[in-house]
Amino acid sequence: MTGKTMRGLRAAALSGTLLLGAAHSLTPALAADPIKLGVLEDQSGDFAAATIGKVHAIQLAADEINKAGGIDGRPLELVIYDTQSDNTRYQEFMRRVLQRDKVDAVFAGFSSASREAYRPIVNQFDGLAFYNNQYEGGVCDANMIVTGAVPEQQFSTLIPWMMEKYGKKVYTLAADYNFGQISAEWVRNIVKEHGGEMVGEDFIPLGVSQFSQNIQNIQKAKPDFVVTLLVGTAQASYYEQAAAASVNLPMASSVNVGQGYEHKRFKPPSLKDMYVTTNYIEEIDSPASKAFFAKFKAMFPDEPYVNQEAENSYLAVYLYKQMVERAKSTKREDLRKEIAKGDVCMDAPEGKVCLDPKSQHMSHTIYLAKVGEDHSISFPKVWQDIKPYWLGEAGCDLTKSDPSAQYTPSNPPPKP
Amino acid sequence: MDVGTLAFSALYQFGDAFAFLVLSACGLAVIFGMMGVINLAHGEFIMCGAYVTVSAAHAGLPLPLAIVLGALVAGMVGALVEIVVVRHLYDRPLDTIVATWGLSLIGTQGTLILLGSTMAGVGTPFGSFQVGAYSYSLYRLVLFVMAIVVLAGLYALFNWTRFGVMARATIQVPHMAAALGVDTRRVYSLTFALGAGLAGLAGGLYAPTMTLVPTMGTTFIMEAFVTVVVGGADVFLGTAPAAALLAVVKATMTSWYGQLFGQIGLLVAVIVVIRVLPRGISGFLLRERA
Amino acid sequence: MNALTRFLRRLEGPQTLGRGPLFWAGFLVTLAAACAYPLFSDGYTVGNTVYFFTWIFMALGLCLIWGYGGSLSFGQTAFFGIAGYSYGILTINFGAAYGFTFVALLFAVAVAALFAALLGYFLFFGRISGVFLGIVTLSVTLVLERFMAQTAGPEWRIGSARLNGFNGMSNMPPLTLPWPGGDIVLFPDVELYYVVLAMLVVVYLGLRILVNSPFGNVLVAIRENPERAEMLGYDIRKYQLGTFVIGAALAGLSGVLYTSWGQYITPSSMGMTAAALPIVWVAVGGRSDLTTTLIGTVTVLAVFQALTIHGSQYALVVMGVMLVLTVLLAPSGLILALAKLVARPFTKRANNNLPGDA
Repeated sequence: MTGKTMRGLRAAALSGTLLLGAAHSLTPALAADPIKLGVLEDQSGDFAAATIGKVHAIQLAADEINKAGGIDGRPLELVIYDTQSDNTRYQEFMRRVLQRDKVDAVFAGFSSASREAYRPIVNQFDGLAFYNNQYEGGVCDANMIVTGAVPEQQFSTLIPWMMEKYGKKVYTLAADYNFGQISAEWVRNIVKEHGGEMVGEDFIPLGVSQFSQNIQNIQKAKPDFVVTLLVGTAQASYYEQAAAASVNLPMASSVNVGQGYEHKRFKPPSLKDMYVTTNYIEEIDSPASKAFFAKFKAMFPDEPYVNQEAENSYLAVYLYKQMVERAKSTKREDLRKEIAKGDVCMDAPEGKVCLDPKSQHMSHTIYLAKVGEDHSISFPKVWQDIKPYWLGEAGCDLTKSDPSAQYTPSNPPPKP
Repeated sequence: MDVGTLAFSALYQFGDAFAFLVLSACGLAVIFGMMGVINLAHGEFIMCGAYVTVSAAHAGLPLPLAIVLGALVAGMVGALVEIVVVRHLYDRPLDTIVATWGLSLIGTQGTLILLGSTMAGVGTPFGSFQVGAYSYSLYRLVLFVMAIVVLAGLYALFNWTRFGVMARATIQVPHMAAALGVDTRRVYSLTFALGAGLAGLAGGLYAPTMTLVPTMGTTFIMEAFVTVVVGGADVFLGTAPAAALLAVVKATMTSWYGQLFGQIGLLVAVIVVIRVLPRGISGFLLRERA
Repeated sequence: MNALTRFLRRLEGPQTLGRGPLFWAGFLVTLAAACAYPLFSDGYTVGNTVYFFTWIFMALGLCLIWGYGGSLSFGQTAFFGIAGYSYGILTINFGAAYGFTFVALLFAVAVAALFAALLGYFLFFGRISGVFLGIVTLSVTLVLERFMAQTAGPEWRIGSARLNGFNGMSNMPPLTLPWPGGDIVLFPDVELYYVVLAMLVVVYLGLRILVNSPFGNVLVAIRENPERAEMLGYDIRKYQLGTFVIGAALAGLSGVLYTSWGQYITPSSMGMTAAALPIVWVAVGGRSDLTTTLIGTVTVLAVFQALTIHGSQYALVVMGVMLVLTVLLAPSGLILALAKLVARPFTKRANNNLPGDA
């Protein structure tokens, strides 16, 4: 057990390098039986840009908790594996952390495909996994806790606001897979509800980087604004190409900026007038956010950006701590009894968040981030306490039954 | 919408697809088409060109010079790779798949470790122009012109220069060329470097329009292989008509049915063309000579 | 009886490494060790070993097509995916009772083989060969990947099985053995280990018999010189097609076992990286022989996994370096090179070329 096991992650004097490797000595005060957390995130491969920060956030939280005496006196021990943006690695390592390392909980996954790859294994071993990522929503599984934002939180705020400000004709450009298709469905429904009109929809296969035809389609449809649900580094090339062709339309997104910090990577003004609903980005100006950002930079000075998934991962560790301390147990069923009470809440860097007992998803403070001409960020609007309402209303109630399935608006849970 | 606008838009889309196919493929056409080496690290040479270009531009070099520098550096890396690895594998071309796949792992992950997960872009130069209701990026026309220039340059290089004649001789009948006093090892090195340099050029040219990440080369790979295989072994007679044919397929499918069918159309076109012309378009055009 | 002994005699021959009592004694010892090994190990390690085993069938299939037949298929993952999805569709619709999962396994492998027969007819009877064959098969697997990736919508369902796009299809039942007193569900643990080990032994020995039969000899003749084989009167297209179908069926078997192992299959299993992996395993192990392919595949899988566990972000770089070095320093494969290295002190004088070292 050399390698990646990190005991009580010592103070991170060790600059921004990945702290993989050497096991760290325990401080005597924390000599009690450790609580083990498995961490499966992509530190190499396609998704690395957006996910290395999640690992760092978990290391930061674990370090803070251990310095403050651990969870109920027990130190946190992280078992970290690099899943290389590869679904099969998730399968291998999920079995490893549950069966061999016998972790108490797992923090795992960036892409929805990776989550679906490991979910059957978590179910088989009856483990507890935190998915700390915004996604297309709909996972109704008692073994999963989701701390990321879901479409109803990001679109029920974003789309009406955009329609009021810019007009009712909407064009969607979305990645052609589950996340993009389901998100586009949400946009379509919300636009219709608010009396708007979809003037076009384009779906882009993952990995496509050339957008001339789509740019022309958008110009032909003359929308008031474009909803961009583009995923992955290749698809992000759209912004540069649209700007070069002077499309000059306002854009709305649930996924860009907050995850892949495109406003830092592209030359201004290609993301001008981009509006994003996110539950955290490093520019948020509240005292809690500033304190979190400062701690993060102190431990990892070379971090390119602290994105929403990093904050989700950070708060998830504290949320887990709270549940374990309240339940006086690390058993999943004991923790779920606490969740069922409906008051598992905490003050996160973004603001107050609570765990919904029905779906085990998270309520969030949703920030509307606007990208300016020089790619600076302003926040024209903030919504407090936006609930992940849809899954519970549609009929998923984990306090009563556990279907372990993923639903979508067009494929809702069966009515009882 | 008037006919002129529609016609220009169709032409623009075709030219855009054509440029992307030609520029992605020409480096591979030299290495794979001429030398028979399946170079799975092609995308990493493209990435190398793009990274060098952008770094140089950030350091203050004018973009055209930066692109040339990107191509040169990629070419030098290519020469090095040829001397260290590929040279030893000419008699077993299929093993180069594994070796170059290994090189591509090293290239991508090494870049991630050394330079971080992303790099800031430089922005697309030249702005846009208006035709009818549409506005277009002027730089895309530059890319199209560059694709033509590259094809013309390759034609000139292989037909009108001493190196070109020696390269063609070496590749057709190596031992005969060697017997006639051609330093075949050097020719192979230069040809491989030329291919890598062309890949770097493609990377440099597309760098201002794309996200810069270590895995960016993979978005070129499929188009590159498809074009080269449809084209067959001859760089000029193969790549150019193949790119034109595939650009029509891709632009039409994309504009009628969306990007997914543009992609699937390309792949189906390969399967059909290879079934009808097992040696690619140039194999068909050159069959009398064979 | 005579026919049977003749049949079994083909377990060894000119096309396979390893012959004589010493080899078979070694084989039996290895097999006994493999059988006894779960007794000394934990559930995780056994399950993980099964995971390695599931890929070997695909590697052996590619070894047959590429190493023995000389045609490089870059698209074995297409058959892997087709069989995996077929297994998922069948078992989600019809359940796992009465040993149906094994019926589904056979059906799924048959579907993959049928698809390979159609594709192979198209390819080999169109005289497509060499790198062109590689690229066309790669195109086929990429078409399947891109198509499956966009099937997220509820309209993409077959019976009650949703294809579920890029996120992949999950929650199909694992292979289930009907057993008096309650079915045995083969989760990745000791039971599944023995079932897969048994399949592996059968397939390995079966392939040895196949390649040492007249069929195998013709196959090698085609690899060495297709024109010559044709001049000798063999319809090489039929032999190539037959090999391709068998190889595809084995890739399909891998697909089913993988799907059952993790109760999950996704389009990425048919993507570019996935398609390159079997070639890497086979080439590193030594593609010209079944035994080296088998050992090589397990070695590469285990080493890559260990590197990922212990090597942090340098894992992929080290893997790349290892692949390049293997190709440069061990042209006929790592396993053969190691075997020669070990054997050198014993065979100082006799420069006996091992068969299959083509």
